[in-house]
Amino acid sequence: MVVGVALVVWAGWRNWRAAHRAIPIAMIQPMQAPAAQQGEAKGATTNDAAAGVSGLRGKQAPAFSLVDLDGKRVSLGDFKGHPLLINYWATYCGPCQVEMPWIEDLSRKYAATGFEVVGITYDAEVGKATIARAAKGLGVTYPILLSDAATEKAYLNGIEVLPMSFYVDRVGKIIEVSPGQGSKEDLEAMVKETVAAGN
Amino acid sequence: MTRCAGVFVAALALIVAFGAPMARGQSGIQLGDMNGAARPSSFVRFAAESQTVTARRLVDLELRFQIDPPYHINSHTPRSQFLIPTTLTVQPASGGVEIGEATFPAGHAYSFPFDPGNKVDVYSGSFIVKLRVKATPGEHTVNATLRYQACDNASCYPPKTLPVQILFTAK
Repeated sequence: MVVGVALVVWAGWRNWRAAHRAIPIAMIQPMQAPAAQQGEAKGATTNDAAAGVSGLRGKQAPAFSLVDLDGKRVSLGDFKGHPLLINYWATYCGPCQVEMPWIEDLSRKYAATGFEVVGITYDAEVGKATIARAAKGLGVTYPILLSDAATEKAYLNGIEVLPMSFYVDRVGKIIEVSPGQGSKEDLEAMVKETVAAGN
Repeated sequence: MTRCAGVFVAALALIVAFGAPMARGQSGIQLGDMNGAARPSSFVRFAAESQTVTARRLVDLELRFQIDPPYHINSHTPRSQFLIPTTLTVQPASGGVEIGEATFPAGHAYSFPFDPGNKVDVYSGSFIVKLRVKATPGEHTVNATLRYQACDNASCYPPKTLPVQILFTAK
C-alpha cells in the first residue's frame, strides 16, 4: 500500500516536471490565413506550411547563400562535414535573446567536435547596425546572416515562430526542428545529439 | 481488502506514470500544455463600439482592445531599444473632426520563464487607448492602425497591424 502511494506520488511529480519543462505554446502549426486587415504578415500559410517546416526533419538541409554583417557571403556548403545549428531569430524576440547567449556558450563548449552555429536574422529590415548591436550585446560571436525570401521559404515556409532552430548533422541531414525557446539543458541535449549523429 | 487496495493503488500509479498526456510531436519537441489550441491568425481584436461625446469640446474616445490569451504584446513603452512598441497611427480626419494625441495605458512587468531577472513591459488581456478629438455635431468615422508585436511564453511573432475604425457621435 505504501509502495503504491509512493509510486503515485513519484509518477505525478515526474509528469508535472515534464509538463513544465516543455515548450508550452510554440508549435509547428500553420498560421491560419489571416483576415485581410492583419497586414504586414509575411507569408500567411495553410496547412502545407506546417508540413513544410516539420517535414524538414529527416531531410537534407536546404541550401542557402546569405550575406553576413560584414557583407561576406556565407553558404550552407561552408559547413560541410560539421554538425550545425541554424537558429532563426529577430532583434525584437525576447526568447531569442534568452537563448542566444546559451547558444554562444555551447558553440564554444562543443567547438572541438566541429560543432558550428549560424544565426539567421528574420528582421533584416532593421539594418545591419541594429542587428550587430543586438548580437554584440548578447555576446554572440558566431556568424549572423541576413535572411532572404528564398531561405525563409525553404526553412520556415510561412511559419513565423521565433526562435526556430534546425539541427543539422555532419552529413547535412536535419535531425530536429525546434520552435520556441526551451531550457538550456534541452538545448545542450540537442547539441549533443547533433554532434553524435551522422557519424 | 488491504491486498485489493494495494493492487488498485499500484494500477493507478501505472496509469499516472505511463498514461501521461504528453506527446512528442513531429517537431521533436514536447508540445506540452497546448490546450489543443492552434495559433490564432491574429492576436489582438478591437472592440468596435460606437461612442457619444460632447460636440465642440476636447474629449477622449476610448478604444478598447482585447489580446487573446496566452499572448502578450509590448506596451507603448517597452524597456528595451530592440522591442517593438505598440503604436496607433491615426489617419487625418475630415468633416469636422480634429485629432489630438493618443494616450496609452501603462503596461505591466513580464519576464520569460527562463529569464526571470529580465523584465519587459507588456499588455495582456484588455487595454484601452484614449484618443483625444474635437468634433462638430454629427456622426463621424476616424480610421487608424494599431501596430503591435506579440509573444507567448516561449516564442515571438513578427509585428502586425490591425485596422481600427472608430465610430462616434458628437452631440
